[in-house]
Formats: sequence, structure tokens, C-alpha cells
Amino acid sequence: MNEAKRKLLNKRYRAEANFKLFGQIAIGLALLFLAVFMYKIFSKGYTAFQKTWIVTEVHYDKELMLIETDNPSLEDLENADYYDIAYKAMTHLDPSLPEEDDRQLIQMVAFTYEQEVKNHLLKNPSLLGKIVPIRLTASDDLDQVHKGNYPRDIPEEDRRVNDYQLKIYDMLNERGDILSKFNLSFFTNPDSREAELAGIASSFMGTVFSILVCLAFSFPIAVLAAIYLEEFAPKNKFTDFIEVNINNLAAVPSIVFGLLGLGVLLAVFNLPRSTPLVGGITLSLMTLPTIIIAARASLKAVPPSIREAALAMGASNMQTTMHHTVPLSMPGTLSGTIIGLAQALGETAPLILIGMVAFVNTIPGTPVDPAASLPVQIYIWSESAERGFVEKVSACIMVLLGFLILMNLAAQIIRHKFERKWN
Amino acid sequence: MTKISAKNVNVFYGSKQALFDVSLDIMDKEVTALIGPSGCGKSTFLRCLNRMNDVIDICKVEGSIKMDELELNSRKLDVVRLRENVGMVFQKPNPFPKTIYENVSYGPTIHGMAQSKSELDQIVEMSLKKAALWEEVKDRLDEIGTGLSGGQQQRLCIARAISVSPEVILMDEPCSALDPIATAQIEELIDDLKKEHTIVIVTHSMSQAARVSQKTGFFHLGKLIEFGDTEKIFKNPDNQQTQDYITGRFG
Repeated sequence: MNEAKRKLLNKRYRAEANFKLFGQIAIGLALLFLAVFMYKIFSKGYTAFQKTWIVTEVHYDKELMLIETDNPSLEDLENADYYDIAYKAMTHLDPSLPEEDDRQLIQMVAFTYEQEVKNHLLKNPSLLGKIVPIRLTASDDLDQVHKGNYPRDIPEEDRRVNDYQLKIYDMLNERGDILSKFNLSFFTNPDSREAELAGIASSFMGTVFSILVCLAFSFPIAVLAAIYLEEFAPKNKFTDFIEVNINNLAAVPSIVFGLLGLGVLLAVFNLPRSTPLVGGITLSLMTLPTIIIAARASLKAVPPSIREAALAMGASNMQTTMHHTVPLSMPGTLSGTIIGLAQALGETAPLILIGMVAFVNTIPGTPVDPAASLPVQIYIWSESAERGFVEKVSACIMVLLGFLILMNLAAQIIRHKFERKWN
Repeated sequence: MTKISAKNVNVFYGSKQALFDVSLDIMDKEVTALIGPSGCGKSTFLRCLNRMNDVIDICKVEGSIKMDELELNSRKLDVVRLRENVGMVFQKPNPFPKTIYENVSYGPTIHGMAQSKSELDQIVEMSLKKAALWEEVKDRLDEIGTGLSGGQQQRLCIARAISVSPEVILMDEPCSALDPIATAQIEELIDDLKKEHTIVIVTHSMSQAARVSQKTGFFHLGKLIEFGDTEKIFKNPDNQQTQDYITGRFG
């Protein structure tokens, strides 16, 4: 081997080594971004899954509750007055506090404290007349203090928790009367203006209904369109034109579909605003081309030999398609559908346009009830000023990501388990 | 007796002509072999006999192909009925990715040939027996057909083809993807099948044509060069090109 040849060879090896290095750097960077993103979300959000309670004592005093009968029924308990006993349950934490400053103690719990006391008694009616410990949801500010998210060293006038409240908090904490447990209400509560009460139930259900409506509208239409185009339509300029347009439709920005939903579904058809029905139909316009493209690709992947075998047996075109081609293409179609739905799941812009950004403090029971959706909930909460919502945003992102990962996993499993490898 | 009679068949793929004025008669209950180099039009001709060329949009067939009294190359022909009568076995075994039973019962089911489950069972058993596959698969009819070996798959395809009792079976290089042992089994089978069916087989192997067929047609560049008794074609062909081909001078 002469000198020139050896040089050339070395150059080629070096080029390959460099190329590999650049590839590894690219992958490393991508992973780094992902890790930073995940770390930010998790480190900020995990505290949202903890909820803080203040443990205090409540005296179910019949007199204060204005109960006159000796043996009150549940209905009597339902109609009793809880304001005084609930108020006292908080104020007795510091009997030395002058009456006009009671508000300072009341502010330490969520404004629903009276309801919480009432629910507690209604669950255990035998407690009437007794003095029992009870846990009350701490206010979001105190919650943040307890989780260490709230700086205590800034000047008092800049703080939403004043020195007196901090003193009471420290006292309670020392006694072990500050309770921190899994925050179930984050999953069961609807949205609220109060961070300590806000949950994702309304937006989660909104998302579920939207996705179901989206599936119900887009899947049948898309699969029929794909089957027709792939198996029955003549191949000519017109079908080429349709194909180009379907591909274009897949590239249309989602906000345009939102405008379409606003202009057609709401303005012309007068469907109810802010509902998963409208949201789902709008999203189905987006998923439609995705599913058509996936379904056509998996129909194309069925080898012609199977079609020929069926046709040669005397099966009609329709029978060949329905008995053989479509069942064989279903795994690919389904995983494409799930991926399309997963995209729709993360959509925010079109939903904002059709009014699913409204503040909804009820859990929707049907697709025609007003609802938000998870990504919109993230958007709503991220606009809120209260510190308590910061962790909620991250927690909501975690739930959304979890949902997405589950769907993509399902798509992967369907693909690997049911998709046939043709040799 | 003539089963199929082709007269002046021309086939075009778009502007390209694939067959030129092919005329030949296929005898009932005989094996007719079509030989010739790749791209000579023998498969194209075969696919005219069950109208499989319909699948190709740009394909156009001219001329007359009569099966008994039925004109095959007619717009009015019901291709579903035709294919019930003319089965086909393909080059690559292509069983449906379903069970062995479903593969064989598919034809009888869609054509409504069985009134009951037991009748269908009978048809499946008969077809598998005729295809010399029954003994090997009778205990695993509910296994997937694509899990069989290549030779078994091809016999399954033959069983599927004969399940609707077609008068004619077309075979498009049925052994080209098989090993010699499986090939020998299929050839034996073809010999058996010709008692009840008319068989047209396209093959690349001249020895196979010589072994299984009674009549042989030699195609070259879309033309039928010579057609006649197999013995004559192989021993004493009239045409020089045929002579060159069978002696291995080209192709």
C-alpha cells in the first residue's frame, strides 16, 4: 500500500469517527434537554400530590348548632347550623387572640372549613355532643409554607402569611397537628379559584369525553375513507388530488380547526359552547387526516398476494376487502388512531377558541356539559397568580404526560403484538 | 375434448403489447404446460383464463377465449362465477393468515356450498385429502396456515383451490419457491388432480413440464412459438427456437 492510499484510508476512517461523534453529541443533547425538562416538572410538581391539613378540635355542641330535638335525624343534622362550631374550632387554637383578629386564624384554613366540619359530622352522626379532633384543609399559603415552597425570610408586608400565622403554624407543627398526606382531592375535585381546593377532575373528564367524541367521529369516517381510496377508488388525477389534500389537511395548524369549530359548530349548528361535544368534533377534524394516512399505509402494507388469493377464490372486491385486507390492516390502523388521538389530547388552541377555556367548577357528567381539558387546565392555572397553582401546573403536566405515555404504550403494544410481519 | 379455446389473444399493458395473437386449445382433464423464458407472456396468458388481469388497471385483453361455450373475455362475464370454476395456485404460497381450516373452508363458505357445519367439515377434509395434506394437518386444523412449511403451504393453497371443485386449475410456477422433495410431492399431486380437473401449469422447469404435462406450449417474446403434445415438443419440435430453448441454448 502506497503513502497516498494510506492517507486516503485514514481520512475515511477519521470521517466516520467524526460522524459517529456528532451523532452521539446530538443524542446526548436531546437526552439532556429531556432530562432537564423532566427534572423541572417533577421537582416542581411532586409536592402537589401532597395535601396539608390542620388538626384541631371541634365541639359538636347541640346548642350552638341550634338543634332542639333530643334525637336529631340526619335531616336535622343536615339543616343544623355549623358556622359557630366551625368558627370556634379554629379560634380556640389561640384563646388569647382578641376577637377582632379572629380572621387571622380563619385564613389559615380553606374557606370550605364549615362544609368540612358538616361533612365530618354527617359521616359520623354519633359524634354529636362530643369534642373530637378534626382535620381541616390548610389554606394554599400555609400549604406552601409547610412544603417549604414559600420563603419565610422576606419582609412581613410582602408575605401572604404573617408573623402571627407563622407562629401558630410552628406551634401546631411542633405538636404534630399539621398533617401531610396524599392529595386525593387533586384528582376528585373540579377546578377552583382556591389552589388548595383545585383539582383536575373536571378537566380530566373533559379530556376523556373530548377524546371519546373525537374517536367516535373520526375513526369511522377516516377508516371508510381510507378503505374506499385504497381498495375501491379508481387511480386517477382526481383521487391523486384528494390524496394531496388529505396530506395538506394533516399539516393545517390546529388553531384553524378551532376557528372552523367556532364558525360552524357554534355559530351555524348552535351546539352548546364550552362542551366536550364541540371540542371532540373540532379535534376529530385534526385526527381525521392522521388516521386516514395511517389506515391507508397499513392497507397498502397488506401484500397483494393475499388479495389475489381471495379474488382467485371468487371473492368479490368487497369480500376480499372486508374478510382479508381490512382485518389484516387493523393493528396498524388502530395504533395510528391512538397516535392521532394522543396528538389531539395535547391540543389547546382549538379548544380555547370554542370556549373550553371557561372556568368550570363542576365535574361534567356528559359530553354536553361545560368542561375544560387537561392542556387547557394547564394554561388556565399557569395564568393564576397564587403560588399554590405553580405546583398544580406541573402536577397537571405530569398527569397529561402520563396519559400520553399510556396511549403511546398502547399503540406500541398493539403494533408489536398484532401486526404481522410479512416475509 | 377441448375445454378452453383461445383465439387471437392480444394483451396490452398500457401501450406495451405483452401477447401477440395467441391461439391454443386446452384439453379437458389434461395437464397443459406453458414454458418459456422470463417475461415471455406465459403468466399473462394464464391470468387471462380467470380474468386476474382485471386487477391491473392498465391491462387490456383482446381476442376470444371460450371455456366450453362461455366467452371469458366479455364485459358481461361474471368474474366471481368464473373464478369459482377456475381455481388458481400462485408462485409463492399465499395461504390466508388464518387457520388451516378457515383457509380451505373460505371458498365453500362464500359460495354457499355447504348447508351445515358437518358438510363444511367434509369438504375441508376431502380437499385436504386430495391435496395430500390431510395426514399431516388433521390434528391441527386450527393452527395458522402460514405456520406450515413452504411445501405444506403450497399444498394448502391447492386444497383451497380445489375446495370449490373447479373444473380448471391454473398453476403459476407452483414449485418455484419449493425444495426438490416438496416439488416432487406437488408433481405427484398434479398427476392425481388431472383425473378430475383440467390443469394449466406455467413452469420454468422444462423437466417438470416434461414430467407432468400432456400438452406443452412454448412462448417467446409474447408469441406462442409452438404448441403440441409434450412428447413431440421435447423430442422432436418443429421450430428451431423451441429446439434451442429445450436444449438449453438460451433462456
